[in-house]
Amino acid sequence: MADDDRRDDRRPDPDALLALADKDRRGKLTVFLGAAPGVGKTYAMLSRAKRLKADGLDVVVGLVETHGRSETAALLDGLEVLPRRRVAHRGRMLEEFDLDAALERRPRIVIVDELAHSNPEDSRHPKRHQDIEELISAGIDVWTALNIQHLESLADLVAQITGVTVRERVPDIVLKRADEVLLVDLAPSELIERLKDGKVYLPESATRAVDRFFRLGNLTALRELALRRTADRVDDQMVDYLKQNAIDGPWATGERLIVCVGSDPLSEKVVRVASRLASGLNAPWLVVSIERADREVETPERLQRIETLFRLAEQLGAETRRIIGNDFVEEILKLARREHATQIVIGTRKRSRWQKLVTRSLPDALASRASGLGVHIVTQDGAAADRVRPSMSLPRAKALRQSAIWALGFVALTTALGKGIDVFVQLPNISLLFLLAVLGASVVGGYAAAFLAAVLSALAYNFFFIDPRHTFTIAAPHEVFALFVFLAVAIIAGGLASRIREQAEVARIRATALQSLYDFSRKLASTGKGEDAIWLAVSQLQARLKRKVVLLVPRKGDLGVAAAWPPDAELDVTDMTAARWTHDKREPAGHGTGTLPNSRFEFRPLLGPHGIVGVCGIEHSGERLDLNAERALTAILDQTAIALDRARLADETVEQAARLEGERYREALLSSISHDLRTPLATITGAVTGLRQLGERMTPENRDDLLQSIEEESGRMSRFVANLLDMTRIEAGTLKPKQDWVDIADVVQSAVERTRKYAPGRIVETGIAADLPLIRGDSVLIGQVLFNLLDNAVKYGGDEPINVYARRDGKDVLISVTDHGKGIPPEDLDRIFEKFYRRGKPDGRSPGTGLGLSIARGFVEAMGGRIHAESPALKKRGTRVVMRFPGSEARGEIT
Amino acid sequence: MNQSRILVVDDEPQIQRFLKPSLTAAGYEVVEAATGAEALKAVATQAPDLVILDLGLPDMDGKEVIASLRGWSDIPIVILSARDRESEKIAALDLGADDYIEKPFGIGELTARIRTALRNRGRRDAIPTVMEVDGLTIDPIKRLVSRDGETVHLTPKEYDLLLLLARHAGRVVTHRTLLTSVWGPAHGDDLHYLRVFIGQLRQKIERDPTQPRIVRTEPGVGYRMAEHE
Repeated sequence: MADDDRRDDRRPDPDALLALADKDRRGKLTVFLGAAPGVGKTYAMLSRAKRLKADGLDVVVGLVETHGRSETAALLDGLEVLPRRRVAHRGRMLEEFDLDAALERRPRIVIVDELAHSNPEDSRHPKRHQDIEELISAGIDVWTALNIQHLESLADLVAQITGVTVRERVPDIVLKRADEVLLVDLAPSELIERLKDGKVYLPESATRAVDRFFRLGNLTALRELALRRTADRVDDQMVDYLKQNAIDGPWATGERLIVCVGSDPLSEKVVRVASRLASGLNAPWLVVSIERADREVETPERLQRIETLFRLAEQLGAETRRIIGNDFVEEILKLARREHATQIVIGTRKRSRWQKLVTRSLPDALASRASGLGVHIVTQDGAAADRVRPSMSLPRAKALRQSAIWALGFVALTTALGKGIDVFVQLPNISLLFLLAVLGASVVGGYAAAFLAAVLSALAYNFFFIDPRHTFTIAAPHEVFALFVFLAVAIIAGGLASRIREQAEVARIRATALQSLYDFSRKLASTGKGEDAIWLAVSQLQARLKRKVVLLVPRKGDLGVAAAWPPDAELDVTDMTAARWTHDKREPAGHGTGTLPNSRFEFRPLLGPHGIVGVCGIEHSGERLDLNAERALTAILDQTAIALDRARLADETVEQAARLEGERYREALLSSISHDLRTPLATITGAVTGLRQLGERMTPENRDDLLQSIEEESGRMSRFVANLLDMTRIEAGTLKPKQDWVDIADVVQSAVERTRKYAPGRIVETGIAADLPLIRGDSVLIGQVLFNLLDNAVKYGGDEPINVYARRDGKDVLISVTDHGKGIPPEDLDRIFEKFYRRGKPDGRSPGTGLGLSIARGFVEAMGGRIHAESPALKKRGTRVVMRFPGSEARGEIT
Repeated sequence: MNQSRILVVDDEPQIQRFLKPSLTAAGYEVVEAATGAEALKAVATQAPDLVILDLGLPDMDGKEVIASLRGWSDIPIVILSARDRESEKIAALDLGADDYIEKPFGIGELTARIRTALRNRGRRDAIPTVMEVDGLTIDPIKRLVSRDGETVHLTPKEYDLLLLLARHAGRVVTHRTLLTSVWGPAHGDDLHYLRVFIGQLRQKIERDPTQPRIVRTEPGVGYRMAEHE
């Protein structure tokens, strides 16, 4: 594969360029690497900062420990130092780096000392390198300092060399991703000098280790490690450069490592060895664990160990993978071929001579079958030998007792049965009966029961049925042989039967899981709305995981709880912060992760095809999810994400449709307004030009009619324009009705007169109660409303008379206008007050403007009254519009 | 006087109200129809010489009326339309309407359109004759174009374009009609051809190409050649 790359791909590797582009958007990380404390990293960092500051660069000190050294402290003069965050921790006040202050300040470069530092418990991230990662993501350049012994992959090596175990560790990937690594070097002898002069600060607790640590040999070894790491980086950079610029070179080693691990303690060592090997070879490496396909042999603890190991491997820069198969050797080789691996790394236990005789170890088998592959075998340290056994035997004890009971039961039953039969007939093959017992025990109780039953059967058979009976001695030699054959057959058959049982059990568990997942996805598919999908997912997750589950979705820019199960599950501030983090960064946060681990919930992003659609939180109460639950969780979250994404798309489609509908409405509106304005205009223009050019040829009646049409159309247009202006005033909120005393009788009278003038043929009947109180309002506006109502009645009322009534109702005054036209269907009654709504001819065109009633409502409400419509008004016909104004008892005072 | 009979199709009574006396006074006999169905019936039974058709009708689209009329009649049709209904107007013209007039319009303008449409109808089957407009002479038999006695050299496409416009002098010819008849049916949308060729044509035939008097632009619709003298 590597050869192919070299031959075909002369163009710059697009992935390499992309990675570079991605780096460009981020801040740059500069690591000042030293072999040991006291070599002068902080000093180097600060003096460089001073130089850049002098050049006008925005350099800020986020956190620097001067450890009271005056020469270092002097360098801080003239540099901006960010305030620290004060944290109470176990009764002591700690001063910590304030990440949010740094993000807020947004300098070009920030200096944060001591990369390997661990933050106190309630911090956002447990480790400082995670704080730094966040700064870099925000586009801020960071300078930091690191001693080589804190590097994860070197931890065991450093422990071996110096005898001191380093607790604060930094994943290799951090150093690997650093944009610049500056080696701060000091000869070990000089460092020891400085130490003796008291120039090296060391914490109180470490003084004991000082003598052990600061030995020439140790320091030389550490210095070598630091130098070599830096050299490796320089080499990597060279390779990067060659790749980016498509320079053909000897850069592709083409090596690829596969590292096999299990849950045993040796595996951690295997990973570390492999990490060093891979970085030495400059090769990618893949860490795999293999699971038996036919058995769920892995206990939660073992799975947990593998999980931890995978995390370690990932931090060291490996890919990780779980594979499932029965023949481990075959699976590993298959994977190696698929991945074009060149080397395999595997650990081996010390085996007893007996074990070596009976079976071949996995590494041996691998070595013999792996042609063309290098196999590295990592051996065990003496000390780490037998640590794993006890943890395994504990859960087994109970199972073993169960198996024993089954075995004993079956064998006892069979013996009794055999005895019973023996009384009546002489069975020559009573051993077959025992075989049945063994099979029975194996099916019910598993492999252990099968084995026990086989041994017990052999003993019982011998004791009860082989002559001399009731002794364990055997008279006939052929019976001895037969007994051994029986034992062998029983063990093999029992083993096979129990294996079948286990396989069936595993298959059943997986089928159940699959079935429930299938049911879930089917239900999910039938939900249209995102909300249903959310509830379904939450209840499904709760049922499957037996934990509190919350689902959050973004709403109006912020994340909110959409569903929780049980419904009373609540999130505190830390939980919400973690959830938002997950949403913003699309990475898990909260419990068990690198971000805000003291949240009770673990939050995972729901990633749909079009980005993040939500965040799911699972409460963790101590124990971790087992592998099956983890699988189910992933599957459910994936499906939910897709369902939510689909729901969101559906919502957007609906919104889009509504927008289109709105646009169509506005278009119709515009065309209707333009029609209403243009028709009178066309009539006027036509009539005027007709009169001017052809007037003398027309009859006087025709001339008169044309003049009259001009008058009428002008009136129509001015009414329409007035309506539009009124509407604009109502909408702009500039309508300020006067608060005069209004006599309804007067207003009605003048409106009716106006109507009669414009529709001479129509009969308008009025009925006004004598005891009407005055009302407070604007008589012009009330008159306009009445006229609009009468105008509608003229248009839609057919040729029937129109009735106007005004009467008293308690303290209120009611005014109604009733026509006897076709009426309005009940579903449209409310809509008639909407702007530009009109009931008209089939083509949608109508004599009105669609403004009259909405203006009426605007006016009436502005004067504190109410208006509504009733239809049918009487005898299944007609429409009545009723206005109600609050009356006033002022009549007497005025008159 | 041989009165021409005009069918006015409009559902607005106000429009009918001023058209009838004006057209009568101009010497036409007026027949009225308020719907598409009525219009089709009136054309069949009353044999009008010309139809004035409003595109917005209550029962059917004005375009449908044109399409069904053109199925069996070549009666001249003048459309009444609004300025903001450009596409509707063009579609109507492409369906076979003869001309259009935008609301609001003066009676003089309308009667001019009516006269042109009626005259063109009489000329439709006539043998091509020499045409003259604003000093420009087009002889379709000799395929000769001259301006004040001097021959104007036109490319074949320019000539085809000019002749097509001249045959419909006084009436609007849509872009599509020009493009499909001169360049072929595949070029119905290639408006840029037309812009270029009309520009060249004007350079050759107009006295002042910046203020064309022979080939006038009907914005968004097409071109109209001035009436022959």
